[in-house]
Amino acid sequence: MAGELVSPTPALRGSARRTAALRLLRRRLIQAVPLMLGVVIINFCLIQMAPGSFLELMTAENQVSDPATVALLRKTYGLDDPVWMQLLKYIWALLHFDFGFSYRQNMPVIQAIWIHLPATVLLMVSSIALAVSIGVAAGVVASMKVRTFWDSLVSIAAMFFYAAPSFWLGIMMIVLFSVKLGWLPVGGMMKIGGASSGTWAGVLDILRHLILPTLALGLFYAAIYTRVMRSSMLEVAQLDFVRTARAKGLSRNKVTIHHVLRNALLPVVTILGVQMGTVLAGSVVIESVFSWPGVGSLLFDSVSSRNYPVVLSIMVLGSLVVIAANIAVDLIYMWLDPRIEIR
Amino acid sequence: MTIKVSRRVFGAGIVATGLVGTSGQSFAQGTPKRGGTLVATWGGGEPQACYVPAGGGSSPTFSSSKLFERLALRKMDGAFEGVLAESWKPSADFKSYTVKIRKGVKFHDGKDMTVDDVIYSVSEIWKKYAVASALTDFAGIESPDADTVVFKYNNPTPEFFFASTLCSPVAYIVPKHVYAGSDPVTNPANNAPIATGPWKFKEWVRGSHFEYVKNENYWKKDEPYLDRLIIRYVRDPAGRAAAMEAGDIHIGVFNPVAPPDIKRLTATGKFVATPKGYEEAVWSTTLECNMRNPVFAKREVRQAMFHAINREFIAKTVYYGYARPGTSPIYSPNKEFFTADTFKTGFDPKKAAALLDAAGFPKKADGKRFTLNLLAAGWFPENGKVGAYVKQVLEDVGVGINLTVPDRPSSIKRIYTDYDFDLAISNQANPSEPVPSTTQYFTTDGILKGVPFRNASGYSNPDVDKLVDRIKVETDPAKRKALVFEFQKITTQEAPLLPLVELESITLASTKVQNHSNDPNFLAASWGDLWLAS
Repeated sequence: MAGELVSPTPALRGSARRTAALRLLRRRLIQAVPLMLGVVIINFCLIQMAPGSFLELMTAENQVSDPATVALLRKTYGLDDPVWMQLLKYIWALLHFDFGFSYRQNMPVIQAIWIHLPATVLLMVSSIALAVSIGVAAGVVASMKVRTFWDSLVSIAAMFFYAAPSFWLGIMMIVLFSVKLGWLPVGGMMKIGGASSGTWAGVLDILRHLILPTLALGLFYAAIYTRVMRSSMLEVAQLDFVRTARAKGLSRNKVTIHHVLRNALLPVVTILGVQMGTVLAGSVVIESVFSWPGVGSLLFDSVSSRNYPVVLSIMVLGSLVVIAANIAVDLIYMWLDPRIEIR
Repeated sequence: MTIKVSRRVFGAGIVATGLVGTSGQSFAQGTPKRGGTLVATWGGGEPQACYVPAGGGSSPTFSSSKLFERLALRKMDGAFEGVLAESWKPSADFKSYTVKIRKGVKFHDGKDMTVDDVIYSVSEIWKKYAVASALTDFAGIESPDADTVVFKYNNPTPEFFFASTLCSPVAYIVPKHVYAGSDPVTNPANNAPIATGPWKFKEWVRGSHFEYVKNENYWKKDEPYLDRLIIRYVRDPAGRAAAMEAGDIHIGVFNPVAPPDIKRLTATGKFVATPKGYEEAVWSTTLECNMRNPVFAKREVRQAMFHAINREFIAKTVYYGYARPGTSPIYSPNKEFFTADTFKTGFDPKKAAALLDAAGFPKKADGKRFTLNLLAAGWFPENGKVGAYVKQVLEDVGVGINLTVPDRPSSIKRIYTDYDFDLAISNQANPSEPVPSTTQYFTTDGILKGVPFRNASGYSNPDVDKLVDRIKVETDPAKRKALVFEFQKITTQEAPLLPLVELESITLASTKVQNHSNDPNFLAASWGDLWLAS
C-alpha cells in the first residue's frame, strides 16, 4: 500500500509537513476500508471452499450423531444460513468488534487471540529490530569496504542466512546452544515454575528464551536488508549531492551517516512494510520449532481443526497490521526525505 | 474412538534397536522417593480442552486422566482393580451390577464424592457422551444406600464387558455440583477441572503446558510421590528430542521423538524406550472397502484387495519393523479374545488376480479391471506412504487407483460423512473388550453418518449382527470367547475392513523416572505412583 512517490519537490517544513502527514493518514485510512472489506470477503470465501468444517470435527470429537443435536449446533453457530448471509453477519459482527466464539477454546475469539498475542508481538518486534539493525549495519559496512574481505564476508553470511530455511536454522541453534552448550533454553517462553513475568528475574528469563527464536526468524530478514542496504548505499553514494558534500570537505563518516545512509534507508523501509505479513507467517514455523506460545501456533491449530472464526480473525488482524505498517512506512518516507510527496 | 495423535515419528521409522533390550525390563527400582517435578510430553499436540466429556481424542485423555479417576482400572496382568469403586458384583441374571463406592474420597475443592456424583456421571456424562455406544442396553442407575450404586441393564451383561466399561479411559466420575445444570461440553470447568485424582489442576499456559500439583488429600495416602507434574506440549518431534536431551522433559509417551532419536538417546544410557503400556490401546492401520461401490458386492473382490498387499512389507518398510502384519480385527496382544485361527488373506498377487477374474472383472485392453478412489487418511503421515504402496500393488493386479491423502478434517468428512471413497486407509485403537469398539465397524447399527470411527464401509450382514448381539449378552466367559472367535472368522472372510498392520507405540523416559509404563493404557493412567530417582 506504500504510495506513489513524487520527488523531488521543495521540502515541506513545520506545519506544512504535519498537514501533509495528516492528509496522507486520512487518505490511507479511507483506502483501508475497501481493502479490509476485500480481505474479509476473500478470506471468508477461501475458508468456505476448504473441505470439512469445524462443526463436523466438533461432532466427531464429541461423538454426536443425533441429527437433532447436529441441527441445533448448526443453528447455534449460524451454519444453517446461506453463505452470503453468514458473510454479512460476520461483517456486521466485525463492525461491532465482535470476532465470534471459538468452540475449540470455549471462549470468545478475541480472548483466545489475546492470550497468544503478546508472545507473537514480542517475537515479531524483536526479530524485526534484530533484522533491521544487523541488516543496516552489515550493509553499511559492506558498502564502505566494497570488494574487500569484509564485503565478501558479509555477502557470504547474507547468502547463507537467506538460503537456510528458518526451521532448520532454529533446530541447529537448539542443538548447538541448548543441547550441546547448554547456554540457552530449548523452547517455551518462560521457565515453567520460574520467576513471574512481572519481576526482573522473569523478564530476564523471557529474554533468554527469546534469543534463539529471534535469531532464527530475524536472520533471514537481516540477510535481505543487508543486500538491499549495500546496493542502496552504493547507488546513493554515486549521486551528485554526495559528491557535493564531499567537495565541501565533510569527513567520510559524516557523509556516509548524514547523507548516504539516510537516503539509502528508503528501500529498506519499503521492504519492512511489505514484509510485516511474511514475518507473521514466518512466526508460525518458528513458534512451532521453539514451542513459542504465540498466534502462529494458534493459527496452525485452528487451521488443522477448521476453527474458522479464529482463522478469519487472525487473517483480519494480520491484514490490519500490514495496512498499519504500510501507513507507517509512508509516514517514515516523509520524515526521511521531506521532499517526498506521497499521493 | 477418536484419533488425535501425531505418529509422524513412525514415518521415519521406529527402530527396534535399543528397544528390544528394554521390553522386559522393570521400570521401578528401590523404595519410592518423594518430591520433585516430573515434566512429561507426548507425541501429539495440545488438547482443545483439559477435559472433553466425550473423550475428544488422545490429547485430552492424556491431560484429564491425571486429574480425574475412573471406577476401576485394568492392571498389566489383566486383572481388574477398583479405583473409585471398591468392588462390584453381578446379579444372578447379570442384568444388574451392584457397585460399592469408595468411602472417604474428596474432590479437589474439598467436597465429598458421593453416590450422587457417580449417578450423575453415569447417566449424564457416560450415557450421553463418554461411553454412549457401550451403554445401549443400559436401563438406569440407582443407589440403595449411601455407599452403593446399582447399574441396571435391559439384557444380561457379561462381567468382562461391565468391568471394561468401568475402566474406559474417559469414564470418569465428575463432580455433580460443578456440572449439574450446565452443558457439560462447554462447562468452563473443562479447562480447569475439579476431580478426585492424585493431581490437582493449577494452571494451563496455552500453547505451552499444564501444571498440576500434588493432591494432599488424595485417598491413596502414599500417593502421589511427586510434588508437581508438568505436561508440556512441543509440536515438533525434533524439539521434543532436544528438550529431553537437555533434561527439560523427563518422559514422553506415544512416540514422542523420531526413531533415530530414540536410538541415539537410548544409546547414551540416560534414557530407556519401551513398547510396554499400550496393551489396552493397540493401534492398527486398516484398509476398508466401501460396500456402496458395486464392485465390492462380491466378497472375493474384497479378499483380492488384501491378497494383493504384502503386509509384512508395510510393517518393515513404512514402519521400519515396528509393526506386525494384522490378521484379525481383534489384535494379537488381546489375550482374552484373539485367535490366529481365522480366514487368511495373505500376500498372494496371483490369487488376487484369479479372484478378480473369477468375480467377473478380467483385465481390459488398457490392462485395468476397474478403477477405485483410494483415500489415505492424512492424520498420520504414514497413511500416505501405505497408500502409495497399496496403489502400486493394486495396479500390479490390474486395479486402477486414484490416491488422495486429505488432511484430518477432510478425511473425517470424506470417510464418515460423505462416504466419498472406494478404499480407505485409516486407523483404529482398540481395547481388549471387542464390544462395541471393534464390533461397531462391522455391525449395521455402527453405520452412523457423520460419526467417525464406526462402520463407514456400510457393511451390513444380519449374521454378523446376530452374532454380535449374542456376544453382548453371553455371560459365560468360555462361550463368549468362542463367539468372538467366530466373529473373527466371519469378518476375516468377509473382509469389508481388516487391519493391514498392528502398530506398536513407544514411551521414552529418562532413567531417573521410576515406575512408568506399568499400566496397559499408560497414557491414560493417573501417574500418581511415578517417582524420580536421585
